[in-house]
Formats: sequence, C-alpha cells, structure tokens
Amino acid sequence: MDRIDRRNFVVGSAAAAATMATGPVLAQDAYPSRPVTFVNPFPPGGAADVVGRPFATAIEPFLKQPAVIDTKAGAAGAVGAQYVASAKPDGYTLLLHIVSISGFAEVDILFGREPKFTRDSFIPIARFTEGPMALVVNERQPYQTLKDLVDDAKKRPNGILFSSSGLYGALHLPTALFMQAADVQMRHLPTAGGGPALTALLGNNAQVLVSSIAAINAQAKAGKVKALACFSSKRAASMPDVPTMKELGYDIEFSLWVGLFAPKGTPDAVIKRLRADARQAVATPAFGKAIDNLGDVVAYLDQPEFAKFWDVDAKRVESAVRSIGKVAG
Amino acid sequence: MDTVFDSLLLGFSVALRPDVLWFAFVGCVVGTLVGMLPGIGPLAGISILLPLTFGLDATKAIVMLAGIYYGSQYGGSTTSILLRIPGEAASVMTCIDGNAMAKNGRAGAALCIAAVGSFVAGTFGVIVLTLVAPPLAGFALGFGSPEYTALLVLGLIFLAYMSTTSLTRTLLMAALGLLLGTIGIDMMTGHFRYSFGIAELGDGIGIIPVAVGLFGLGELLATPSRQVTSNVTSPRLRELLPTREEWRQSAMPIARGSVLGFLIGIIPGSAHIISSFISYALERRISRQPEQFGKGAVAGVAGPEAANNAASTGAFVPMLALGLPTGPVIAVLMAALLIHGVPPGPTLINDHPNVFWGFVASMYIGNLMLLLLNLPLVGVFVNLLRIPYAYLYPLIIMFCVIGVYEVNHSIVDVWIMLIFGGVGYALKKFGFDPAPLVLGLVIAPIFEMSLRQSLIMSDGTWTIFLERPIALALLLVSAALLTLSAISMLGRDWRGRLKEAARSE
Repeated sequence: MDRIDRRNFVVGSAAAAATMATGPVLAQDAYPSRPVTFVNPFPPGGAADVVGRPFATAIEPFLKQPAVIDTKAGAAGAVGAQYVASAKPDGYTLLLHIVSISGFAEVDILFGREPKFTRDSFIPIARFTEGPMALVVNERQPYQTLKDLVDDAKKRPNGILFSSSGLYGALHLPTALFMQAADVQMRHLPTAGGGPALTALLGNNAQVLVSSIAAINAQAKAGKVKALACFSSKRAASMPDVPTMKELGYDIEFSLWVGLFAPKGTPDAVIKRLRADARQAVATPAFGKAIDNLGDVVAYLDQPEFAKFWDVDAKRVESAVRSIGKVAG
Repeated sequence: MDTVFDSLLLGFSVALRPDVLWFAFVGCVVGTLVGMLPGIGPLAGISILLPLTFGLDATKAIVMLAGIYYGSQYGGSTTSILLRIPGEAASVMTCIDGNAMAKNGRAGAALCIAAVGSFVAGTFGVIVLTLVAPPLAGFALGFGSPEYTALLVLGLIFLAYMSTTSLTRTLLMAALGLLLGTIGIDMMTGHFRYSFGIAELGDGIGIIPVAVGLFGLGELLATPSRQVTSNVTSPRLRELLPTREEWRQSAMPIARGSVLGFLIGIIPGSAHIISSFISYALERRISRQPEQFGKGAVAGVAGPEAANNAASTGAFVPMLALGLPTGPVIAVLMAALLIHGVPPGPTLINDHPNVFWGFVASMYIGNLMLLLLNLPLVGVFVNLLRIPYAYLYPLIIMFCVIGVYEVNHSIVDVWIMLIFGGVGYALKKFGFDPAPLVLGLVIAPIFEMSLRQSLIMSDGTWTIFLERPIALALLLVSAALLTLSAISMLGRDWRGRLKEAARSE
C-alpha cells in the first residue's frame, strides 16, 4: 500500500482545491448545482410551512439537489417576502407564500409608507394548493343560518365579535369582504395567530371566525362550532351541507392558497426548470396524500394561469384592505 | 378508573413495541442535544425533522417529535448551569442559582437535581394528563383574555420576590423590560412602534437574544476584570452527586414546581414561559434563607426546572383534548399529526385511541429514558468546566452568536444580543439583577395584547375583570399579596428606622 507522503498530499490537495474553485463556474449553465432554499415567511406550523415541507420533500428528486426550508418569520410574512425580494435572483432563494402576499403593499400605502416590495418584485412560478375557508360560529350562539347572523348583526352594529389571526391577515381579509358585501359591522378581536383565534371562538370570547376548513373541521365534527357558509366557488368536499357565499347571494370568493415565487430578474431558463419540477412534485402521490390529510385541496396552476389568477385575487385582497382601512387607536 | 387503566394498558402495548420504543429513544436523544445547543430550540429541531417522519405512521411520528420537545426541556438546563447561557427562555431562572452552584463546585449536584426534578415533574404531568385531561381542558377554555390579564398581573406582583437586589432596583429593571416589550407592531392598529424602519423589529425584541446577551455574554465580559479561580478539579463520583441535605432542600420545591408548572402549562397561549419565573419567586418567598438565592440555592434550581418541565407536559392537554395549540411548538406537533391524517381535536381519543394512548404511554417511558440518558452525562459535562477559560470563553461567544442567529436566521437578533451583552456587563458592574428585565420583556407583549383584547370584548368597560370569576379570583390573590408585602415592608422599615434613630441619638 502506498504511503501518503507530503508531496503527494500537497499535489492532491491542490487538485482538490482547483476542482472546488472551478466547480461553480462550470455549474452556471446547469441549474441547480447546489441546494435550493425555499423561504417560509411564517412561524413553523403555519399554512406555508405545512404545505412547504411536503413540497420540499417531493421536489428534491426532480431538482436532484437538496431542497432546504428556511424559516424567516416576522411581521405576518412581510420579513420573509422582503428577504426574497432583495435576494440574488439566481433561483437558489425562492419564496413560499400565501394569499396575503398581495396585501402588504396596499397596507403600506394606507399608512403612507413607501412599500418595501410590491407584487412586481416577484415572478409567480406555481400555485400548489387551495385551502377552502368557512365562516363558523360558536355552538352556544343561536345562529342556524348566515341570514340569522346578518339579521342580528344589522340589529346591533359592532355588537358581535369576530376573532382573527391578526390585523390585515389571511383570516381578517375574508371577514372584511363578507362584512362589506352584507353591509354589516362586527367588532374585531385580533389575536396572535390561527390557533389563538380559534381558542377565542371556542371559549365563546368571540362569536364568529372565518378560518380554513382544515383548521376547524375536527371542531365542526365534534359539534363545537357550526359552519354557516364557505368562501369557495363550489361547496367544499369535507362540508357538503354548507352553502357557498355565492349561493347565499354574496359575490365573494376567497381561499387560503399557497404558491411559489422567485425574485424579479431570475433567468427564464431557471424559471422554466422550476415550473417543470414543481409540476412533477405536485403530482406525486406522497404530496397529494399529505395535502389531503391536511384538509386542503391540491389546486395546481402553472405560471400563466397562476399569474392570471393572482391578478384577480390581488384585486380582492386590496379591496379588503381598503375596506378595513386604517384602524383608529 | 378501570377504563383509564385499560386504555393505558393499550397505550403501553403500543409504546413498548420495539420500533416505537426506538423512535421514542431517537426523539429523546435529539431533544437532549437540541436543548443543550443554545439557539436550536425545540421549534427548529422539530420542524427540521418533520419531513423525516413522512414515511412513518402517525404514532411513531408523534412519539419521536414529542420526545424532541420534552427532551429539550431536560437539556436546556445544562448550558444554563455550566455556562450561564439560557438555551431557551424557560431556562433563564436556572442560570442564576444553577451557575452559582457550579461556581461553588457543585455543578454535578445542580445538573443531577435538574434532571431528577425534570423527571419527577414530567412524570407527574403525564399522570395528571392521563387521569383528568378532558375536564382540565374545559378549564383551559375558560381562560379568555381577561383571565390572562389577571394572571399576568399576578406574575408582575411576584416580581417583587424575584430579585436578590433591592426592591427599587428590581422594579427599575422590570419597568425597563416592560418598556422594551412595547417595541414592535401594534397588534390592534398595525402601527410600527420604535422600530426605526427595521422590519425585523416589527415583531419586537426577542427573548432569547436578550437573555443570552444579558446572562451569557454579559457574564463573560465581566469575567476578565475579576480574579478567576476554577473550583472544578477532577470531580470524584461522590462530588458529582447531590448531598443528602441538597436532596432534602429540593424535594418540596420540585413538588410545588410540578403542580404550579402543570397548571400554567395547560392554559393556551405563551404563559408557560412565566412558570419558571413564578416558581423561582415562590421558592424565594417561602424559603427560610432567602438570602441564599442568587448564591447557589438548591431550591432555585429544583423549583424552576420542575415547573418548566411540568408546563411542557401540561401544554399537551389542550392539544390532545381540544385540538388547540398552546404555543408554537405544539402548533408544529399538531401540523405533524394532521399531515399524518390524524386530526387533533375533541374526537381524537375516540377516533384514534392507539395514537392517543400510545403517545401518553410513550411519555412515561420517554421521561425514564431521559433520566437514564442525562444522569451519566453529568460527569462528562462537568469536565467542560476544566477547559481553561482562554479556550472556553471564545468558544462560548461563538456558540452565543451562532445559536442566536439560528433561532430566526436574523442578523438583527445577533446585534440585539451583542448590545445586551454590553448592557449585561454594565448591569453587573452596577449591581443590578437582569432577571426582572427578562420577565418584563416576556410579560409586556402578552399583557398588552390580553388587556386590549379584554377591553375590545367589553367595549371599553373595565368591570369585565370583576365580572368573570377566574379573573376576579386571580386579582384578589394579587391584591392580597400586594397588601401583605406592603404591610411587612412598612413594619420592617418602621422598626429598622426606630432602631437606627435610637442608635444615632
């Protein structure tokens, strides 16, 4: 057996170093050549996280590189979005975000602040899932139908309390759209997240909550909360008896979708590769099963359709932000 | 009673299967590591390992992930005691007397007591969980914003008993902490407060960077200006173990900490952090030698460590019985259950008895595993202190920086830690105790939120706090405590002043 003497060692190390140095240069035309980071802008357990982790596991075999989830939570998803908006647009830093991504710029405008990023800062790649949402009330409340609730809310403006995951958040926006459409006023009880919002409803400290069906389905089955209407275009498979807002005469549609975004300026070739890989990842049975278990629906949209959908959806979100307006206090 | 016993038998038949046992073990080992490394808290640990469980069934997944969670509560005490770095917010109080014990050469004893205290509290928590989870969960739901506000008022009153320095200094520090806690987005109106255009400050100042800065870094910076003599010389086995006297002193604090921690733990929200603070204050209040606290009182380690472990077990009650998360870690565990097709909620026990009882039974086994895992490690860890300071301290600073960065991947947090390291140094030099500052920072955002939520609920009427029985009871206890301490303080002062006056004449 050869002994490794010093000269051989030096030559070997130099060769290794040379390979390492040339590696990234060669790799420039072969994206991806190193791990791809998916930024999750919400705390672990949030919508982007629970969809993002099965997605990262599913896309790894197609990327042929590790898919890493990097949690950059803060300011209801604004910190992570801003981080990706200003990241190098090379396809190695991508953003998982939800419906509320459209609202940040509008909120900044409302407060007279310069928006740190807008919708134009991102290239949409794909939408993965749609979480149908429902308006639920505490079981101890007398409301049997949405009409009961609307009638009572008309009788006592600001008398009924609704909880949410936070101001201008993904649970507050659809509630605002509903109040606008039904021309009623309810009092807002903001909390620190979806869990605390549900806790407030179950303890009867708030009477109304708009939530993803996934988060309240177990409570509804146990009879602790009653769903009065859902916000999707069709009735939800898990709640076939609950009418849609449209059926009840309110022209509102809202869902908790999760999509993938790249920063503006990412090369077309990279986007193309990501679209292809994302399509395959979403179609895997493992991803489908995970989403199914969560109570969400795989609702894949490729870039062209997603961009079109996002334009329409952003109009709704912006209108909801404006209808909430600036809160006095 | 029979049904509980039968169910538990079913649980053990699941939990003792070799494959389930293996995953419980993996969870406990990872949890211990995660708890010891500052920064990589249970939240990050669990979410990183979550994808690994996609191939497993729901029981194994939850057994392993939960093991990481309660295992990290064991490990958290190690760095606090040895290096005075709180691995997580709940270990802040362990730093004080635990590290003082280590400096007196009793590091082994402190680690042993922390491990045993955690074991007792964890097991107590699981037993109560087994027997009375559903009714307790109902109690937890009764805890709305007004009750929360009252609880935090009580927490603030306890502040007076918490510190080892004078009352004035304690209150000054607490006020500073409360003020720092107002930094961030106003949850009710969306306005940024004192954020200077830094988006990261929108969420306020994190507890971990402040605690690590004040306790860990501040201590390190102050060390070179002192004569340092290391008391730790090749420890013998007998010196590693607590003495009989130390056991005796820690028995009651462990018992009290277990009950207190569990009760606070089942309340949904982030109040469980204050369980270790309140336990410390309580032990100091009822101790016969309160002057020993801060100088290595065994009760100051035993109580908070037990409280913090019991709270982490208590936190499972609302999740298992109601499907409600008590905090971010539990939210991730719930998401894990959901992904595996087991929706946590009021029907969990009936729909998936295997998962529920298997999980509960695995916690009995996991706690035992953790004890067996942690006790032999005590000897290994104590040797850390034999590393000369010239090598150890730069390493600690590196761990502080990496650890704090890892929590949110935020460079702003590192700056906060460095600044508070300087603050911690100054406080130490001027004889201020940083613990009340941390408690103020913990309480301020939750207190403000629940106070304002209560007032939204009542449409601005303050009597809401007197109309709800739990809130009223808590406020009455606070008032009683305040009166008692005022009377005793006045009394002492009068006598003291009289004596002084007599002497000077």
